[in-house]
Amino acid sequence: MVKEIHAEVAIIGGGIVGCAIAYYLSKAGLDCVLIEKGDIAGGTSSRCDGNITIVDKDPGFDSMMSMASQKLMAELVQELDRPFEYRALGSILVCDNEVEMEAAKKWVEIQNNAGLKFKLLDRSDIRQESPYFADDIPGGLECETDSLINPYLFCYALIEKAEQYGLKVYTGAEVTFVSQNTDFIIETTEGTFTAEKVVNAAGVWAPFIGQMLNIEIPIKPRKGHIMVGARQKPVMMRNVMEFGYLMNKFQRERIADPETLKHGVALVFEPTENQNFLLGSSRQFVGFDAQVDINVIKTMARRALRFFPQLHDFTIIRTYTGFRPWTEDHLPIVSAVEEVPGFYIAAGHEGDGISLAAITGKLIEELITEKEPTIPIEPLRYDRFKKKTGTCFN
Amino acid sequence: MKGLEKIIICRCEEVDLEEIRQTVSQYGSSARETKLRTRAGMGYCGGRICRPMLDAILKKIMGDKPQDQIPLKIQPPVRPVTLARLGDGLHHDD
Ligand SMILES: Cc1cc2nc3c(=O)[nH]c(=O)nc-3n(C[C@H](O)[C@H](O)[C@H](O)COP(=O)(O)OP(=O)(O)OC[C@H]3O[C@@H](n4cnc5c(N)ncnc54)[C@H](O)[C@@H]3O)c2cc1C
Ligand code: FES
Repeated sequence: MVKEIHAEVAIIGGGIVGCAIAYYLSKAGLDCVLIEKGDIAGGTSSRCDGNITIVDKDPGFDSMMSMASQKLMAELVQELDRPFEYRALGSILVCDNEVEMEAAKKWVEIQNNAGLKFKLLDRSDIRQESPYFADDIPGGLECETDSLINPYLFCYALIEKAEQYGLKVYTGAEVTFVSQNTDFIIETTEGTFTAEKVVNAAGVWAPFIGQMLNIEIPIKPRKGHIMVGARQKPVMMRNVMEFGYLMNKFQRERIADPETLKHGVALVFEPTENQNFLLGSSRQFVGFDAQVDINVIKTMARRALRFFPQLHDFTIIRTYTGFRPWTEDHLPIVSAVEEVPGFYIAAGHEGDGISLAAITGKLIEELITEKEPTIPIEPLRYDRFKKKTGTCFN
Repeated sequence: MKGLEKIIICRCEEVDLEEIRQTVSQYGSSARETKLRTRAGMGYCGGRICRPMLDAILKKIMGDKPQDQIPLKIQPPVRPVTLARLGDGLHHDD
């Protein structure tokens, strides 16, 4: 039991977002505590892929934010003491049909005009990437700057360094109530904390923390399944997604079979550093039901075989699910909250929390220390939802 | 347990007792974090060989420390299965 601990900033949630915030704030010299109900990276940040991508971002603010994060990641590789399986090899998107191929051409054009490093790939380029690909894939595209990491090792590395800067970490401490006098009072299962500022980085659980302060946070769990394939022979080194992934993600129309559409299945192939591979994924709104759904897994297996028929005799050894913290406009909330001065939200990164963790941590540091933000933060404001719907949340 | 330090606990991922002990003492890691860091229990057999021993060892090393709240639990498939079989035998795996 902790008695009463005071800090300048209390960060709630030890996922990738909370860890990145803890790192940048501690590095800036602030006295911080990180409060996590389970283990570091025990939530969505260990139940996901590890792609740091621009390839799947909407051109504009979305891709600009990812690019800023990729730059920070490259710096973090130098700054942190522990390796986290960072591999900057670029990533590719493959198309299922000619319609998608046309759309891919436009996508490359738009992204290149925005100054990003995209390249269109034809059938033979795809074959060169891996002999396991299907012959009838018409082509795809490549983003040169994309990379892969191991998200939980990244969290551990951030925390270890942040502790050197003075961060105190409390795991197994579930926040049960937050109130505000002059300071915030944070009650947990491991004792009470006080802090001048609070950052809500509780991912898909951020709305529950918000409720404690009468703040409604419009984040919903969007469930995803992943299968782990065993190392047999190397399939390929880079991350692969199918173009349909973009359509799913942005909830746009897509041509595919009914089961695939129903479960929001799109191929994501990620080689891990230990030579296993991850096959994903699905997108469903089913509340907080974490059960593995065998029908979804089967649909994912079929989808994987569509693009990688030669993987048919590869073995799947594990499956798991995670909850993406979804917001209506697919952008996270990285913001102060006007109604409760000193309260910040950094949550709602949906399927991009790994890509965007670094920039999110940096932006929260800049907000709290009142520095000029690295990128404009208007689109990430909490009150954008209020403006749009015209309703008041509290 | 001197002399036993090199005993392999997880065969699939080749993790010995020494590595598990060192990880716990170096990072003060929980049971779950220790498994994730060493990969013990995350191999081909899905922990079916090593899990009972691994859990017993971690419990012993952790002592009174509160146990892992969200363990790396047993997830389907219970046995390794080919992608083709999962995909409903569209392609033959045997
Ligand atoms: C299948 C799948 C694949 C994905 N692939 C990618 C990818 O390739 N690239 C990418 O960029 N993103 C990906 N994502 C998205 C990414 O995983 C998430 O956006 C990210 O992990 C969210 O991080 P977080 O820190 O906000 O949340 P979390 O990691 O969930 O952290 C929140 C933490 O808050 C803690 N908490 C909650 N309530 C309390 C409380 N009351 N008191 C104390 N602590 C509390 C939780 O225990 C948890 O540890 C994927 C997601 C899924 C599901
Ligand atoms: S022996 Fe440990 S996973 Fe198989």
